Amino acid sequence: MTDIRVLLQPAYVLHQRAYRDTSLILELFTPAQGRVGVIAKGVRGNKPRWRGLLQSFQPLLVSFNQRGELGLLTEAEAQGAALRINPQLIASGFYLNEILLRLLQRHDAQLELFGWYDTALRELARLNVTDDAQAELEIILRRFEIRLLTALGYGLVFDHDVHSTMPVQAEQEYIYFLEQGPVLLVEDSGPAENAENNEAHMGIKISGHALLALQENDLSAATVRRQAKRLLRAMLGHYLGPKPLQSRQLLQQSAQLAQRMTH
Amino acid sequence: MEFSPLINRLIEDLRCLPGVGPKSAQRMAFHLLERNREGALALARSLADASEQVGHCTQCRTLSETDLCPLCANAGREQHLLCVVESPADVRAIEQATPYRGRYFVLMGHLSPLDGIGPNEIGLDLLDNRLAEGVVRELILATNPTVEGEATAHYINEMAKVHGVTSSRIAHGVPLGGELEYVDGGTLSHAFSGRRQL
Repeated sequence: MTDIRVLLQPAYVLHQRAYRDTSLILELFTPAQGRVGVIAKGVRGNKPRWRGLLQSFQPLLVSFNQRGELGLLTEAEAQGAALRINPQLIASGFYLNEILLRLLQRHDAQLELFGWYDTALRELARLNVTDDAQAELEIILRRFEIRLLTALGYGLVFDHDVHSTMPVQAEQEYIYFLEQGPVLLVEDSGPAENAENNEAHMGIKISGHALLALQENDLSAATVRRQAKRLLRAMLGHYLGPKPLQSRQLLQQSAQLAQRMTH
Repeated sequence: MEFSPLINRLIEDLRCLPGVGPKSAQRMAFHLLERNREGALALARSLADASEQVGHCTQCRTLSETDLCPLCANAGREQHLLCVVESPADVRAIEQATPYRGRYFVLMGHLSPLDGIGPNEIGLDLLDNRLAEGVVRELILATNPTVEGEATAHYINEMAKVHGVTSSRIAHGVPLGGELEYVDGGTLSHAFSGRRQL
């Protein structure tokens, strides 16, 4: 790979780990370079450079030299204040970072997705923890998941039956095949058995109503959100492979703790 | 340059220390061999003893060769106050700088969900049991002011609520003797939101 110099490009830190005494290896998400790994030297210890700046959810402008797999960070500036995500929602922020880390290839430009990530984080930071925060949170996460899958080229089909090419009907039931799209569920050939067989072939049952709502990007109805969650979890799981998402485990443990509190 | 095998091995082994490259390792090896054999032997013995015997305190998880570390064993320390920190070095820093006379709990890290470090990996199950005993009445959360440190503090705070223990977070702000102009934006905004009435 030839040397590339990147000057003051927007970036977010997805992950950081200690390297040697005073350095960090950062996984950055940038629009023009996509996910990049860079070494940041002299950023830990007594007199760290860029103190407190190289963290998740802090909008940055970075310069780095890219040579081979890992680049070298040469400049970092804050681009506005760090997004203060409510601690109760921070696990969701980590979740976004983790799916990006797992699914994005390095050095693959993601201009649009970077904007969507920025939007999702800003929406998370705006969210107050109230009764309907859960619904809002789910909408933010589902929208980002759909945009991520689209950006990766696993475009989702919501508006027509991929076998018959007929438009999706709101009152019908469909089976969504993960690498293809929705197919009308044929009722007369024993619906239960049929659905089960299809699930085995990586299909998820979903209503026409939910598909059309997703096509309109409308996740306001709880039933739509529930079905979308099931579909997207299956799709992401399909592309993520068998290794579980670590951030999801923290979410579950936090939920258990919250449950103990109500008892 | 080639030295005899034993000297080479010593130089190579010294490099396991943080910040020690080949050049400093060589300097250390020759210093020990030429000028300070006694010190070298004492160092070898301490290294061997410490690496074999030092484990974790059963109560606060800090490094200690006894079941209870000296701080936990000290009956003169306030039992109702518990300060949660990320590392043994943090205990040292607080002990030297503050009049704090309570107990500690050392996480030996922070929550780092993307690295698979969850609550149990930093001993929060142990802390949970400790809070359940009902002796601790107040928690001071002194994890680092990083995103992960805040997430850790939040999780422990939730845990404290389950047990009806009050908890507080250490303040973040402008360093003493610092000049506002040169303080980074994040710290300054924290300092503002955490301002105190006089």
